[in-house]
Amino acid sequence: MRNKLIAGAAAGVIAAVGVAVPAQAISASTADLSVLHAVPDLPVDVYVNGELTLDDFQPGDLAGPLDLPAGTYTVAITAATATDDSAPAIGPIDLTLAANTSYTAVAHLDASGTPTATLFTNDLSTIPAGEGKLTVRHTAAAPAVDVLANGTPAFTNLVNPNEVKANLPVGTISASVAATGTTDPVIGPADVQIQEGVNTIVYAWGSLEDENLALAVQTISGLHSTPAGIPAGTGGLVSDQNPTLIGAGIAALIALIAAAGFAVARRTASQSAR
Amino acid sequence: MIARIVMSAATLLLLAGCSVAPVAAPRDLEPSPPAPAPTAAVEVPTSSAALGPVREPVPPVRVVIPTIELDVPIEPVGVEPDGELELPENIRVAGWYKYGADPLSATGSTMIAAHLDSLPQGIGPFAALRDVPLGTEIVVATADGGEHRYAVDSVQSIQKTQLPLADLFDRQGAPRVVLVTCGGPWSDALGTYTDNIIVIATPVT
Repeated sequence: MRNKLIAGAAAGVIAAVGVAVPAQAISASTADLSVLHAVPDLPVDVYVNGELTLDDFQPGDLAGPLDLPAGTYTVAITAATATDDSAPAIGPIDLTLAANTSYTAVAHLDASGTPTATLFTNDLSTIPAGEGKLTVRHTAAAPAVDVLANGTPAFTNLVNPNEVKANLPVGTISASVAATGTTDPVIGPADVQIQEGVNTIVYAWGSLEDENLALAVQTISGLHSTPAGIPAGTGGLVSDQNPTLIGAGIAALIALIAAAGFAVARRTASQSAR
Repeated sequence: MIARIVMSAATLLLLAGCSVAPVAAPRDLEPSPPAPAPTAAVEVPTSSAALGPVREPVPPVRVVIPTIELDVPIEPVGVEPDGELELPENIRVAGWYKYGADPLSATGSTMIAAHLDSLPQGIGPFAALRDVPLGTEIVVATADGGEHRYAVDSVQSIQKTQLPLADLFDRQGAPRVVLVTCGGPWSDALGTYTDNIIVIATPVT
């Protein structure tokens, strides 16, 4: 064992510098649930298992993530002016949440304009270094669309309530949405940032007929890959052949290695509405 | 479609507002007070999902350790095709992992690495890192003209095979600067040094 603590506090130095335990992380017994309100002009209350959970929830807003034990939840969405959940505008619907999974429940218009709700599963797979994920979800009262990136179709024939996704190089995309087979935008163009290690989820929502189509965005970070190593020396000119341990004692070093061996294994489904 | 639903909800409200009043002289009938608005059982964070600008990183451009006269310019780097950290070929220039934190990030490691040496170029400035005492001041200059001060918290030599990479490249823990180069014995068989020298420094206000 030759790792050396050359200078510093005793055990667990790297851990002691404050490597984070994920504040919000799905686990073997819990799921993450966010809720997007994508029905225009209708502030709502959201009831989960009969309890008022979101009060006066505004169109275009994203709530959560809620950390919930895996299971089935009954969701009812009422107008915000309602006094209880006895006559919901949407639902009641049962959402089954599996552990170790991230979900977004979206209240939205179906293709013909009727309010409905869809439960999407969010992709938390690790993204290669230097890339981000773009997910696009069609939750608008509109027919099939193409999603254009910088003017050319990136995804075609997307229908409500489906999604498409791809890993893309980090950068800014000028995104727009057009009726399938056309390039005249019905939404956008708008700049969408592809951030490294982030799943950027873009929702098309609103109504084509009512001329209020818009884009909403939800981001899930912490999906990045870590570099495989740091190859910082090729000359062989400074070889430290002395195996003598210096600095703190062996016990401290063993503890350091044990602490250092703990990798950040749990997926962080931390997210922001941006 | 929407108008219809709003109307039904409003209609429902009207009906709910009328309670069954006790039988009394007609002129004494009063509407009962409306039921109290329900309040949510928990506070759930909610924010607008409108598209907006995202934070641009502020790259570090120079790292200085005054007490050992180390003064090294910094370039942004990514990863090589084999997945390892990219490093500037010039051993007198350090690389900042551009996908990680920067000195203005609220959380995470600002990772700055440089070659220890190379045969054509000799021994580089980061060779001095292994001897840096605890508490040594490190100054990192950023592209916006700012200067950020840190104090050395630890200096470690860790075998590359045991390197806690996820921790070193952490993006969510307390903000810190991590300076890395190679160290330990040279291995002819591997054609590389066997260790990395890791200096961790934490911000001083």
